[in-house]
Amino acid sequence: MTNETPIVVVKDICKTFNIPGRPPVHALRNVSNHVAKGEVLVVIGPSGSGKSTFLRALNGLETIDSGSIVIDGVELTAAKANLNLLRQGVGMVFQHFNLFQHKTALENLTMPQTVVLKRSQSEADEIGRRLLDRVGIGDKDDSYPSELSGGQQQRVAIARSLAMNPKVMLFDEATSALDPETVGGVLDLMKELATEGTTMVVVTHEMGFAREAADRVTFMDGGEIIEEGTPDTVFDDPRHERTRSFLSQII
Amino acid sequence: MFDVISSTLPFLLDGLWMTFKISLITIFLGSLIGVVVGMLRTLDYAVITYPLAAYIHALRGTPFLIHLYLVYFMLPATGISWLQFEAFPAAVIALSLYTSTYVAEIVRAAIEAVPSGQTEAARSTGMTALQCMWHVVLPQAVKMMIPPMGGVYVIIIKGTSIVSVIGIAELVRAGEHATQRHPKELMVIYGMTALLYFAYCYPVLRIARWAETKFGSVRLPS
Ligand SMILES: Nc1ncnc2c1ncn2[C@@H]1O[C@H](COP(=O)(O)OP(=O)(O)O)[C@@H](O)[C@H]1O
Ligand SMILES: [Mg+2]
Repeated sequence: MTNETPIVVVKDICKTFNIPGRPPVHALRNVSNHVAKGEVLVVIGPSGSGKSTFLRALNGLETIDSGSIVIDGVELTAAKANLNLLRQGVGMVFQHFNLFQHKTALENLTMPQTVVLKRSQSEADEIGRRLLDRVGIGDKDDSYPSELSGGQQQRVAIARSLAMNPKVMLFDEATSALDPETVGGVLDLMKELATEGTTMVVVTHEMGFAREAADRVTFMDGGEIIEEGTPDTVFDDPRHERTRSFLSQII
Repeated sequence: MFDVISSTLPFLLDGLWMTFKISLITIFLGSLIGVVVGMLRTLDYAVITYPLAAYIHALRGTPFLIHLYLVYFMLPATGISWLQFEAFPAAVIALSLYTSTYVAEIVRAAIEAVPSGQTEAARSTGMTALQCMWHVVLPQAVKMMIPPMGGVYVIIIKGTSIVSVIGIAELVRAGEHATQRHPKELMVIYGMTALLYFAYCYPVLRIARWAETKFGSVRLPS
């Protein structure tokens, strides 16, 4: 795993939000990281620590002020013309699902395939149905998002990302908006994807998931990476006081 | 009374036909311009959005009668040959521009009301800004546009009566002619005029209502 070139290489990225009349917010300060093929990186940290900004920077939803992001050999910051192409390869799962409200579950999966990948309708349908089966809601193909539970919607959203054959999947608090009884099922699905070798960057407050599924855990605070390592070292033997106090609050 | 009705109805129907023509052309052109202006206003480029904002505020902040006089009397006074308009095209131009400002604001508001998560999800699958607008944002925005659009169209239909001031024989002007011939039947003639407007406007509102239920109200994320 380590002797291969990583899929994602992030070097010294900085991002400051300037809102007129307010002090600037340094959401990312010289953040560097990397994700190898098949690796599962879990990012933890208190609210406002820059986790979402970090994820959003990885697929260009957020522009960065300095530093570089390389995805599968392509420099994201230099490839302005290729940003759409690059995003195809980076799947994103959001806290609030963001399913296309005017499309059925199946259409949510097929529309991006036909529009972006130019797959035929029948091929997209076939892939779409297979993936809905895969995430456990093959019978919901004709339902609109408003007719689905949060857990079911998030499964559709995960399937929609998978349909684009991404090189890496980003999860931003994918279970934070779910009812407690549906959280487990979605986490199980994410664990399955992880064991199947999906390259993943996961922002989560589910420490059980992090411990079980992560190859590496990164702790962020105040826009900086404070500490990182294997789940065992970060959870059982944190070196930094800030990590310790965060973990003591959350567990 | 039936004499009055039967003798004036043909004139009033002629007037209705003119109202119908002007309003349809105006609604079509005004909507076309308005949709484009409204969409462009949602972009992030100040070079585009500021001039368009100025266009909208200038037209909405001044009376329509002034626009009409400007196009019909003042532009020809410049002596430039392609700025000479007959009454009908002058009315259509002024009304279309006026309509476009209301349509543009409806379109912009509807587009901005589509949650940003929809755009982010679309862009993160690799869709271009244009694909995202066409496949994700507009279909959802259109549903929110239908009810206010029906309202604007009805206001425009009734508002066409003002172009009678430059001599266009639309419904209100036809009614006034009729009252000059039958000065004692004001109630009947204006009653007929109002009924004809109602016969035209009411279906428009019904269609808007029907379209609203057919395409469903918007489903916002829970
Ligand atoms: N679009 C934005 N405009 C202004 N400030 C923002 C914006 N997005 C995030 N921030 C700020 O950046 C910091 C990091 O935010 P975020 O990355 O969302 O944190 P996290 O996901 O770890 O909770 C926060 O202080 C937040 O208020
Ligand atoms: Mg966040």
